[in-house]
Amino acid sequence: MKSSTSYSLKVFATGFIVLTLLSIPLFWLRSLCQTAIAELMPREIKSVDISPSGLVPPELENDPNVAQHSRVGASINSEVPSSIGLADYFITRLPGASRSNVYLASSDEAWMYFDKNLGQIVHQYDEKSTMPDNSTLRKIIRFYIGPKGISELPDEKLGRFFDPILDGNWIVRRWEKAKPRELILYDKKLRCFFRIDFDQRTVVKGPEVKKGFPNDHPIQIGRLYKNEFSLDLNWSAPHIKVPRKDADRTDLQANINDSFSIRLAATLKDADRTDLQANIKPIIPTGFWSDSGPYLLVLDETGRIELLDRETLELAGSAGWLPGPRSYFYSEQSQKPKDLLAYEVQALTLRTHYFENPEEVITTFGDTLYNFARQPSRVDKEYLGMFAASVSRDGTALVLTVFDKESKRITTEHTKLSTNVSRPSEYLHSSKAAFWRAPWAPVSTIGKYLAENLHPPILSLASYFTASVFEAGSGHRALFLLPNSFVAMVGRDSRGNFAERFASALWWILPSIVLAAWLAYWVSKDAVVVGLSGKARFYWIIGTIAFGLTGYITYRLTRPKITLVTCANCGKPRRPDMDKCHRCGSGWQVPELIPPAWRVLNGTEQVPDSSTADAEQAVPE
Amino acid sequence: MLALIKREIRDHIVYFIAAAICSAIFIAMGLETVHEYNPRNPPVFPIGIGISLAAIVTAGICAMGATQMYFDKTRRVSALLSTRPVSRSMILLARIIAGLLAILTLLAPIAVATTILLRLFTPPIPMYSGLVWEIFTATFLLAFACYCIGLQTGWNTNALTPTLGALGLTCIFVPLILIKGPGLQIVVILQLFITASLVRTWNKFLSTPL
Amino acid sequence: MDENVIKIENLAKYFDGRCVLDGINLKVPQGCIYGLLGRNGAGKTTIIRILLGLEPATRGQTFLLDTESASLSPKVRGRIGCVAEGHNLIQNYKVSRLIKLCKDLSLQWNDEFFRLLIDTFNLPTDRRVRELSMGMRAQLNLALAMAIDPELLILDDPTLGLDTVARRQFLKLAIGLIQQKDRTILFCSHILSDVERIADRVGILAAGKLVVDCPLEELKERVKKLRVIFPESAPQNLYLTEMINQETQGREMVITVANWNRQKQAILETFKPSSCTEVPMSLEDIFIECTRPDSNSTES
Repeated sequence: MKSSTSYSLKVFATGFIVLTLLSIPLFWLRSLCQTAIAELMPREIKSVDISPSGLVPPELENDPNVAQHSRVGASINSEVPSSIGLADYFITRLPGASRSNVYLASSDEAWMYFDKNLGQIVHQYDEKSTMPDNSTLRKIIRFYIGPKGISELPDEKLGRFFDPILDGNWIVRRWEKAKPRELILYDKKLRCFFRIDFDQRTVVKGPEVKKGFPNDHPIQIGRLYKNEFSLDLNWSAPHIKVPRKDADRTDLQANINDSFSIRLAATLKDADRTDLQANIKPIIPTGFWSDSGPYLLVLDETGRIELLDRETLELAGSAGWLPGPRSYFYSEQSQKPKDLLAYEVQALTLRTHYFENPEEVITTFGDTLYNFARQPSRVDKEYLGMFAASVSRDGTALVLTVFDKESKRITTEHTKLSTNVSRPSEYLHSSKAAFWRAPWAPVSTIGKYLAENLHPPILSLASYFTASVFEAGSGHRALFLLPNSFVAMVGRDSRGNFAERFASALWWILPSIVLAAWLAYWVSKDAVVVGLSGKARFYWIIGTIAFGLTGYITYRLTRPKITLVTCANCGKPRRPDMDKCHRCGSGWQVPELIPPAWRVLNGTEQVPDSSTADAEQAVPE
Repeated sequence: MLALIKREIRDHIVYFIAAAICSAIFIAMGLETVHEYNPRNPPVFPIGIGISLAAIVTAGICAMGATQMYFDKTRRVSALLSTRPVSRSMILLARIIAGLLAILTLLAPIAVATTILLRLFTPPIPMYSGLVWEIFTATFLLAFACYCIGLQTGWNTNALTPTLGALGLTCIFVPLILIKGPGLQIVVILQLFITASLVRTWNKFLSTPL
Repeated sequence: MDENVIKIENLAKYFDGRCVLDGINLKVPQGCIYGLLGRNGAGKTTIIRILLGLEPATRGQTFLLDTESASLSPKVRGRIGCVAEGHNLIQNYKVSRLIKLCKDLSLQWNDEFFRLLIDTFNLPTDRRVRELSMGMRAQLNLALAMAIDPELLILDDPTLGLDTVARRQFLKLAIGLIQQKDRTILFCSHILSDVERIADRVGILAAGKLVVDCPLEELKERVKKLRVIFPESAPQNLYLTEMINQETQGREMVITVANWNRQKQAILETFKPSSCTEVPMSLEDIFIECTRPDSNSTES
C-alpha cells in the first residue's frame, strides 16, 4: 500500500513537471505561429478608412476649398507586447494603468490614488501663484474625496467609495499637467455617478443607475479603450488649400499637432482661387484626445455605449455600441468588450469659442489643448457623434463604425481583401485572408493547428468548455488551457446543439486523439513487459489517452527501472522483484547459480531445501 | 540537523558569496537607476543588465542544486552520513534549507533595498508596494524552482548530464515568467512545480543506492 | 525486543539482471560475533549495504535492531557503528572537520575513548582525509565507528590496509568491545585467522546461497576431511551424501564431507578401507574446501 501510494505520488509529480516543461515550448510555438499570422497580414487587410466621416457639418465638409475630406481610420498593430505576461503585468499595474489604484503620480508632490482603507480618493497637487513682489509661491494642496464631500483632511463623514471608475480622459489630462476642473467617476457598488468640482470643492451625486436598465454595468467612462498597443484609431479633419501668401499666417496656422484655431472660411472667401497652391491645411485642427462635449461616454459590459449628461449625471441616451468584427469563426463576432482583443471609441465635438468681440467666433474640434492669447468669454460644445473600432479576439479582423449624435449608425467598414481587382464587390473578409491567403499564412495556420494538437487532448477539451470564461487578450498568456485555440473558438460558437458542437470540437482535435491513442498502445505493450498490474495498466492507458505526449513521457520516466530476467519456467522476461512470475506464476529458479548440494546450518541437522532435494544419492550396498 | 545544514553551507560557501555579490550588484544598479532617473527618459540600460544578471543568477542557483547532488554522489557524502544517526530525509532537507538560504541571501537584500529606495524616491503613496511583494514572491519561487531542477538533474556520476540537463531545463523553464508575469497564477504554478520536484527528488534520493 | 539483532529473510538481490543473492536467511543473536565469509563477489558487501539501508533489496527483508533496514530511524542508526568497504570518508575534509561532523551528528560520543584510539593509532588531525594512507583511513573509520559506543558493530573488511600491529590492536579492541554486555558484531574479512580468533558464528556465502551458518566450533565438528586408504585401488562407486570434495589417487581417497554422522561412517565402512584418518582443518581450510569452484554442486 505504502509503495503504491509512493508510486502514485511519483507519477503525479513527474506528470506535472513534464506537463509544465512541455507546455512552455508549445506555448512559444503557438505564439510564433500566431504572431506570424498577425505580422504577415497584408497591410490592406489591417486597416480601414472612412472618408468623409459623415460627422462634420456639411458646410465645412462640402466647402469648395476642401481638398481632402474628413477621415477616420483604424489599423491593427502587432499585439506582441500585451501577449507576454510580464509586459502586460507592468503595463496594467504601473501608476495610471487599468489595474492600479494609483491614478497618477507625476511627481512627489502631484499624485492621486484610491485609498482602499479609507474608501476615499486622495489627490495632491502643487499650485504656483505669483505674489505681489513677483516671487513665486508654491502651495501643496491635498484633497480627500468621498461620495459625500471633499476635504483637505481625511474625514469619515466624507463617506466611502468602494470600486470607483474614473473618467479616463481626465486622468490623461492631469498626466499632461493640464488642470481640468471637474472629475466624473462611477462607483460600481454605489451604482451612482459623481461629479467632483475641485474649484468649488463639491461632490455632486447623480441618481442611482437602476438594475435591469440598459447600461446598468458600466465598465469604463470617458476614455473607452482596450489594449491600446493593438489598435490605432485616428481622425483627420477636412483639409483646405490655402494661398501661398497665407501659408505662413499664424491665424491660419494649422500645425496638425497644435490646437491653434483659425478663423472660419470667412477669411477664405476672399481667397483668389486661381492663386491656390498645393498647401493643404486642415480647416479645423483637432487635438488627439477627443472630447464628447456636454456628455461623457459610458461603456457597458454588453458593449453598449451611453451618453452621460455631465450636468445632471443622468444617462442621456445611447451613443452607439462597439461593433462586432467579422471573424473566420462565427463565435468571434461578438461585440462585448470581454470578447474583443482591442477597441477604442472617440467622440467628436464641435466647440465654439466666443470672445468679447462678438464677431470673433472660433470653432474647433477637440479638447482643451488650446492656447489663446486671451480667454474666450463662452464656449459652446456640440456633440456630433462618435466612431468606434474593435478588433476580433484572434486579432485578424477589424471593424470601424461611425455613429451620429442620434446613435444612428452612419457607416461601417470591415477589413477585407479584394479578390478581384476588376470587381471590387468580390472580396474576402480579412480574418479568412489572414489565415489562408496571406503569404506563408497557411504554413502558420497549420503550424498553429499542429502545435495545439500536441497539447494534451483533455486540456484541449477543457479549453473547449472554458472558452467563454477567458477575456480576450488574457488568453494569450494561457499555458495549460488554450482559450485562443481553434477548438476554443468552436467552443464559443453558440450555433447548433451541444452534440453537434462537441462533435465538431472532437473533429478539431482529432490528430491529438490519434497521437494519444497510438502512444497509449505502446504504453500498454510496455506495461505488460515490465509487469505492471492490470489495474495500473488500465490507468496508464487512460492517462496516456487523456494527456497524450505528456502522459507517454511521464510513463517513460516513471516506469519501473528494473532489468528483467528470463523466467526459467516460461522463458519470458519477468521482474526479479516479484515473488512469482507475472506471466506464468512460477516461483524462482536461478539456473545460472549452481550452489552446492550440502548445507551446514543453524547448529542442527541440515534444513532440507529444494536445491538439495534432487541431490540425494542412493547409498551403495 | 543544524550540523547538516552547517555542513552544506560550508561545503557550498562559494554560492553564498556569489549570491551576496550579485545582490550587491543589483542594489548598486538600483541606486544608479534611481540617481539618474528621468521620468521622460527612463534609462533602459539597467533593464538589459538586469535581465542578463537575472539569467546568470538563475543558472547559478540551478547549478547550486546540481552541484550539491553531484558532489554528494561522487564524494559519497550521503553514504557516510547514512551510517550516522541521520536519515536520508534529514540529509535532503538540510540540503534544501541551505539552498533556500542561498536564494534568500540573494533576494532578501534586494527586496529590502528596493522597498527602501521606493519609500525614499517615490511619492508617499502605495504606488509599488503590491508590485514589490508580487515580484519578490514570483522571483523567489522561480529561483527555488530552478534550484529544484538542479536537484533533480544533479544526482549523476557523469558531470555532463547534470550540467547540460540543468541548463537546458532551466532555459526552458525560466521564460515561464515572461509568459505569465508575476501574480497569483505563476505563484500557484510554481508552488505546484516545486512541490512536484521535491516529491520526485525525495522519492529518488530515498530509494537510490548510496 | 527480539533476541536477534540482525535478521535477513529470503533476501534476493539482482544487479542488472544478474543474481547475486538468492534467498538468504540469516539471524544474528544479541552478543554474538558473526563472521560472514565468502569469496570475492559472493555478496558479503551487498548484504551489509542492504542491512544498512544503503542499497535496496530486490526481494526479501532485512532487519537491524528490530527495525526494517529501509526505514532505520536516526535513533536506531545511532546505536550502530559501521565501517564500510573502501572506508568511504569525505576525502576533501580535514580529519578534524570530519571528526567534528561525526561528533555533532552522534547521539552519544565517548570522547575519552575516541582520543585514546586516535592516540593509539597516531592519526594526524590536521591533514585532509585524502592525504592519509589506506591504513590510516581504516583506523580513522574504526575510531569513528567505535567512539559512539555502539550496540551493534558492522564491519566490512575492517582490517583491509592495516599492518600487522594495527590489526592486532583492532582485534584487541574488538574483543574489548564484545566483552561489554549485549554488544554484537557482524564482520566480513578475508583474513580468516582473525575471524577464527574472535568469531562465535560463521556464515559462508557461495553461489548466492548461505551454505554455512553455524557456530564456529560446530562447523569444525560437522565438516570433516578424511584420508581413506583402501587395500586396492579406491572404489569409484563410493558415494556419500553431502560430500563437499573427493580426490582419489591410487589407493588413497581424500574426502571432505559436511554433517559427518554415524550413518555416513557406516556407509564408508562398507567399502572396507584399510585406514581412515581425519585431517584436521582450520577455518581457512574449511573455507577453501567449501568454496572451491569444483566443490560438489546440485547438478554433479
